[in-house]
Amino acid sequence: MKKLDRLDWAERLTLSAFGVRAGVRVNVSGLLPRVLPLLPPGWTKSHRVIVERLYSLVVAQGCARAGMRRLHVLYADTMPVARDAALDQVLAALETDLHRYTAEATSDMTFLHAGVVGWQGRAIVFPGRSLSGKTTLVREMLRLGATYYSDEFAVVDDFGLVHPFARPLGIREESSYAQTKYTAEGLGAASGVKPLPMGMAVICKYEAGARWQPASLSQGQGALELLANSFAVRSQPHQTLRRLHNLVRHSVFIKGTRGEAHEAAASILNLSCARERLEAT
Amino acid sequence: MKERQFPRARVDCLSREFSNEVLVYDLQRDVGHCLNSTAAAAWKLCDGNSSPPQIARTLSRQLSTRVDEAVVLLALDQLAAAHLLVEPEVPVERLSRRVALRRIGIAAAVALPLVTSIVAPTPAQAASCVPFNQLCANSGQCCPPLLCVLNRCI
Repeated sequence: MKKLDRLDWAERLTLSAFGVRAGVRVNVSGLLPRVLPLLPPGWTKSHRVIVERLYSLVVAQGCARAGMRRLHVLYADTMPVARDAALDQVLAALETDLHRYTAEATSDMTFLHAGVVGWQGRAIVFPGRSLSGKTTLVREMLRLGATYYSDEFAVVDDFGLVHPFARPLGIREESSYAQTKYTAEGLGAASGVKPLPMGMAVICKYEAGARWQPASLSQGQGALELLANSFAVRSQPHQTLRRLHNLVRHSVFIKGTRGEAHEAAASILNLSCARERLEAT
Repeated sequence: MKERQFPRARVDCLSREFSNEVLVYDLQRDVGHCLNSTAAAAWKLCDGNSSPPQIARTLSRQLSTRVDEAVVLLALDQLAAAHLLVEPEVPVERLSRRVALRRIGIAAAVALPLVTSIVAPTPAQAASCVPFNQLCANSGQCCPPLLCVLNRCI
């Protein structure tokens, strides 16, 4: 750390997000505005000096010698996280690592790996691992009028309410792993602000040509599915279980294999509406 | 053999009730279990002083229906397999599910005991994987089947 500390740092920022304090410092003036949109949604500036994790972004300067590439390097504390000639790639690595660290380190909230939309005052949550089709389903729900909460994290507080983590959607283009970022507003949808109780959790995976015929799950089985997508259950099992307990109280769970997202999305919203009507009577 | 005759539930696990099911988190193994109503009821009665026939009788009283001892034995075997009972010093012979089901018959009055388990994810497992051509530190971060080659998922 001492070696890094000795470098000439041009700009620095201390931020707080979900109770986690992190610092970012860069060795080039004017770079910080490019970093700000990458910070966790809802972050605030902190005046504390001590942080839990310090990111140091060393931007390569000067001319490269013939045949040599100059690499930008990102460190998390003393550990190199990314090293590349493309600054955009290194900045993307900063975003990923910072979001992941926040999800893991916060004790104020429980982070679940899930897509979330708001619908008629309730959150619909899609827990699932990468490539399970969460973002595709979230995008389709937005097209049908749902409010955007997140395509990555369901953020659950002590009362079991789901908070927004409305970062731009990372949509993978067809037959490619590469992601393009879209804001909810750019897709014609609104982003949620208010925390919501969970009304439904949908556990599904994509299979080409599959017909969407979900089965219902019990609350216990549903809670187990959420546990399987929880970031900090190993380090904070008490809080995780307590928050999951509060989260699932008024929720229903369905599970199935889906084909195209539009069919599943319409069915999920219909189910949600039917449930609302049933509760109202 | 006492542990089998008088099974005892582990007390060093976290548990939460969800309707009539119980979610149990094993702090030692980092495994989560969902016990359905019958398995949960049987687990709660494993106090180290009750034998399987006694547990069956207590369950019958609690549920106001006859619970066969085979149902309890099936529950105990699933609970033992999930490491939710204090381990017996001497390995016990297990009642196979097929034998248990034959003994219970098809018209059991209560739901068959069921314990569903998952291994709790590490933060890295719970996180999104790194897509194609993005930076990585090791192949474990890349979306399958990509590999981390020269710090990029390819």
